Amino acid sequence: MISQLFVLSQRGDNIVFRDYRGEVQKGSAEIFFRKVKFWKEDGQEEAPPVFNVDGVNYFHVKVVGLLFVATTRVNIAPSLVLELLQRIARVIKDYLGILNEDSLRKNFVLVYELLDEVIDFGYVQTTSTEMLKSYVFNEPIVVDAARLQSLGPAGIFMQGTKRMPGTAVTKSVVATEPGGRRREEIFVDIIEKISITFSSSGYILTSEIDGTIQMKSYLTGNPEIRLAFNDDLSIGRGGGSAYDYRSSSGSGAVILDDCNFHQSVRLDSFDMDKTLSLIPPDGEFTVMNYRLTQEFKPPFRINPLIEEAGALKAEVIIKVRAEFSSSITANTIMVMMPLPKYTTRASFELEPGALGQTTDFKEANKRLEWGLKKIVGGSEHTLRAKLTFSQESHGNITKESGPVSMTFTIPMYNASKLQVKYLQIAKKSGTYNPYRWVRYVTQANSYVARI
Amino acid sequence: MAQVAHDIDQVSPRPATRLAQDKRKDAVKKDSQDPNPLIRALAVRTMGCIRVDKITEYLCDPLQRCLKDDDPYVRKTAAICVAKLYDINAELVEDRGFLESLKDLISDNNPMVVANAVAALAEIQENSTRPIFEITSHTLSKLLTALNECTEWGQVFILDALSRYKAPDAREAENIVERVTPRLQHANCAVVLSAVKMILQQMELITSTDVVRNLCKKMAPPLVTLLSAEPEIQYVALRNINLIVQRRPTILAHEIKVFFCKYNDPIYVKMEKLEIMIKLASDRNIDQVLLEFKEYATEVDVDFVRKAVRAIGRCAIKLERAAERCISVLLELIKIKVNYVVQEAIIVIKDIFRRYPNTYESIIATLCESLDTLDEPEAKASMIWIIGEYAERIDNADELLESFLESFPEEPAQVQLQLLTATVKLFLKKPTEGPQQMIQVVLNNATVETDNPDLRDRAYIYWRLLSTDPEAAKDVVLAEKPVISDDSNQIDPSLLDELLANIATLSSVYHKPPEAFVTRVKATAQRTEDDDYPEGSETGYSESPSHAAEGSASSPTSSNLLGDLIGLDNNAIVPVDQPASPTGPPLPVVLPASTGQGLQISAQLARQDGQIFYSLLFENNTQIALDGFLIQFNKNTFGLAAAGPLTVPQLQPGTSAATLLPMVMFQNLSQGPPSSLLQVAVKNSQQPVWYFNDKISLHVFFTEDGRMERGSFLETWRSLPDSNEVSKEFPGIVVNNAEAAIERLGASNIFFIAKRKHANQDVFYFSAKLPRGIPFLIELTTAVGTLGVKCAIKTPGAEMAPLFFEAIETLLAG
Repeated sequence: MISQLFVLSQRGDNIVFRDYRGEVQKGSAEIFFRKVKFWKEDGQEEAPPVFNVDGVNYFHVKVVGLLFVATTRVNIAPSLVLELLQRIARVIKDYLGILNEDSLRKNFVLVYELLDEVIDFGYVQTTSTEMLKSYVFNEPIVVDAARLQSLGPAGIFMQGTKRMPGTAVTKSVVATEPGGRRREEIFVDIIEKISITFSSSGYILTSEIDGTIQMKSYLTGNPEIRLAFNDDLSIGRGGGSAYDYRSSSGSGAVILDDCNFHQSVRLDSFDMDKTLSLIPPDGEFTVMNYRLTQEFKPPFRINPLIEEAGALKAEVIIKVRAEFSSSITANTIMVMMPLPKYTTRASFELEPGALGQTTDFKEANKRLEWGLKKIVGGSEHTLRAKLTFSQESHGNITKESGPVSMTFTIPMYNASKLQVKYLQIAKKSGTYNPYRWVRYVTQANSYVARI
Repeated sequence: MAQVAHDIDQVSPRPATRLAQDKRKDAVKKDSQDPNPLIRALAVRTMGCIRVDKITEYLCDPLQRCLKDDDPYVRKTAAICVAKLYDINAELVEDRGFLESLKDLISDNNPMVVANAVAALAEIQENSTRPIFEITSHTLSKLLTALNECTEWGQVFILDALSRYKAPDAREAENIVERVTPRLQHANCAVVLSAVKMILQQMELITSTDVVRNLCKKMAPPLVTLLSAEPEIQYVALRNINLIVQRRPTILAHEIKVFFCKYNDPIYVKMEKLEIMIKLASDRNIDQVLLEFKEYATEVDVDFVRKAVRAIGRCAIKLERAAERCISVLLELIKIKVNYVVQEAIIVIKDIFRRYPNTYESIIATLCESLDTLDEPEAKASMIWIIGEYAERIDNADELLESFLESFPEEPAQVQLQLLTATVKLFLKKPTEGPQQMIQVVLNNATVETDNPDLRDRAYIYWRLLSTDPEAAKDVVLAEKPVISDDSNQIDPSLLDELLANIATLSSVYHKPPEAFVTRVKATAQRTEDDDYPEGSETGYSESPSHAAEGSASSPTSSNLLGDLIGLDNNAIVPVDQPASPTGPPLPVVLPASTGQGLQISAQLARQDGQIFYSLLFENNTQIALDGFLIQFNKNTFGLAAAGPLTVPQLQPGTSAATLLPMVMFQNLSQGPPSSLLQVAVKNSQQPVWYFNDKISLHVFFTEDGRMERGSFLETWRSLPDSNEVSKEFPGIVVNNAEAAIERLGASNIFFIAKRKHANQDVFYFSAKLPRGIPFLIELTTAVGTLGVKCAIKTPGAEMAPLFFEAIETLLAG
């Protein structure tokens, strides 16, 4: 069971602190923060999510820059605690609409009430916003979203973790709208994160899609929902090993390696018509996680080249080609490449007429960064950089630079071809027609081209 | 509705007044009968936070009522409240039949209630020595049914409680597994891991290989899917997978690709992935794996790069057929001439040479090119070892070594030792003039000019050998070395068993047994020591009155002194309020009545049923009654500390009380050489703190599983280097009856293995084991009936030898 739970800001300020059992000393938040900040053990400079200091076990996760921490003295299941910390962040987000230091401080009464209901004497009771609504009555004080830094249309997806909070909207599931009436709507987000490693010759070494279907429902009366997927979807590679997945690519079917579902999902007719039915609880939750290693077409091809050009000089050429339809546009693209340690200067040359592109040479970690606001499907972009070295290279310049990595977001695109064919809301009223938002987005997880 | 809550939350830390207590009692009583279930639940939840003895008794009736409430929300809150109450007053909970009510709740029709009842019972069981919550096949089937209905968190509670259940046969095990398997599909990682734990445990009982194979197949995809979760969860999953693949390597044998590092993985995830990649590397996938390692070795993060280079070396040692490929990758890396890569590569190549002697010396020339760039001691030492080992094949070996000799006095000890040995090897192999001069210089440097005893001793041994019998020196120094294997990060089988039983818990993440990091500190004890417990803090707990009184009434200096002796960690001071259990034989007096102002304490460590106890006898020869006994142990070699409260009743003048205090090991370990000293502090409410020293006898630690088969005894004896052998003569001891002696030693878990005759003496062999699997191999030589016993032991824990001799002397004499 958990002894304490606290939320720290990036600077280590105590925003929320709840002691459930009184068996860990009060200064634990400070001890924790100092330990994490100056972690240096086993040759690593980043603290692992679980560690022990003087008999107290500390667990932490980072969510949108906040540290959610739990302590205990007993041999508890760490996966439970870490998962719980993520869920608590999500429940708070459901209630407050936005999760940040400001909203937490403004709503601390509500947050403490939630924490008391979520955990009793260190034991998790529930993390379902739906259930909590029957016990928690404080109204959130909504923090003005407009005052937050303006994020691009897909910027809200850029939070780094897979199950991103706040996929769709930044409004509380409990707060009443200013108009007095809530808008009936439901959001379904299909989020896919791609990991690809290209070999130096452009051949795909490993590829994987981690997908998740998130739902956030604002429907009154919790009607039943049916989600139908493409007919050619199947689960399990039928016992084949990871090595022969390529053989399955010809058929065009979507074959998931594995997937798991939310508690509320019923799979009665999944095998027959590829349909999930569920009664969505309030709040944001994951309907389904899936994973596939089946071959898919990578959205971008990266072509990096580094060549010596004289004794203390070299030239880098990076080509990025978007291999998706021209009706789709990727945004917030960043291409990064570590350069040899002895690089002192880099001068860049973009294509003539390039718009919305930035280039930078990060002196501190010797890294080239190329940012593009957007890339339209089918187009190709090139960057040239001239490098100056402080010493001669050891003759193997390609080994001392790279790999090139890339981050991007492509809205309304998914690499797996998994599709929601329809989203049916069962409610027997002709006039009832809530808003349904089904959105796809693909992001880079680890998108790497070796040199 | 929040009347109680407010009252409690804002309670001042000052001892509650009578009036306030009464007010609160009434509030709780009233609220617990409110028509609104939310208020009833709030009342019952809050009452568990009032840690005042007088009030808790008063709360029993409302709690009893709430456990049978119509509303499940009230019942589930009441279930947890029983655990709270147990923490305050265990006796009361047992007396008032709350445990039975709790057990009834296991059959409740609401799954939330069931889950909380299971959680509460599990916690109570954890803190009790009596069997309270035993899983019978009846409860098992009830809980498995409830599993499907529960919330995700409830599923974890239930699965964790069920994992203690030992199925009687394979059929039942299969049955359980079948019902747990669907949990692997859950989106909650905690549920998945708990299900994996349960399945792994039952698998041990399943005999059908088909079923096992099938289960392995079913577990693989969910385990891999855990690696798509947040990095924090990935880390936990990877630490667990590390253990699982050591036991069942086939589960993920085909999934090595998923452990390839992503460039944006946090470093703690990358390091764990590397470890698993090495474990899964096989002749089939080694090319792929090497390609990855090579890539990692050119990344930016220095620590990661080093680990990747080391990984290549470890694969070479593990897979004989791939060794050559590994070496060629290492050579490629050396050619990039990145300093730390080169040094790391040389360190692993030395190990590869050890593993495959006389196979790959052709690469030495390439290695020598990097000689000047080496600046890390380990790399330098490795290179010097290589030069010495292959001195006859390196034409300019003498020149190479000579280049190091100039800086001999400044080198770190590690390098000096290697230089010494390498020079001797060189001289033995090429006894020409040059090396002869070198050896003079080195021996001089390593004997006269050094303060390092290791270096000096080794130098003198070589010196003696070389000057008396150079041929013998050759036999010794150039002897064939035992083959090494890749055992880094390999876990000892018995520890692995224990860790696998603890899969999905913290233990499996730290790779340490639970007792190594779990410290049981009672909440009340914690607070008495917490000096800077802030005034006016917001906790709902108030100090127990007996304690508050103790702190101020008895001399305040005493508690400070106690704090000084004890240090601040592991404050296992425990209150005394339970009746004692008397025990048998006379104990040595550790605190005579003359020193203890009339209080006499006799004590001794003892072992019973695999558990270490501190057996204590308190005799009160004072004129007053003594109570409130607390005990504390200073840091000691074995990290002994109290595992539970010291239970001594109030001692009337002229009476005595005996008690057995359960002890745990590895709690407050002291640094420095092993010592048998155990410093103890005892205090009571009437007297100052008494300090006394006791002696730890090693034999209480010997575990019940220390018996070795003859074969493994011989093997272990051979595998341990001779430096781990220590012997001692006991001229004053006589063994009159061999059987009786063997029996006596056996009673202390020193197990007889074999006996042989040697001249007119008998040689007996025994084995024993310390916790954490440190074996002791013992050889006793004596002529039965005559004075004089010689005892030789061989053990990886040779520093314990003096303690061992003390123990065996006592046992033999005794």
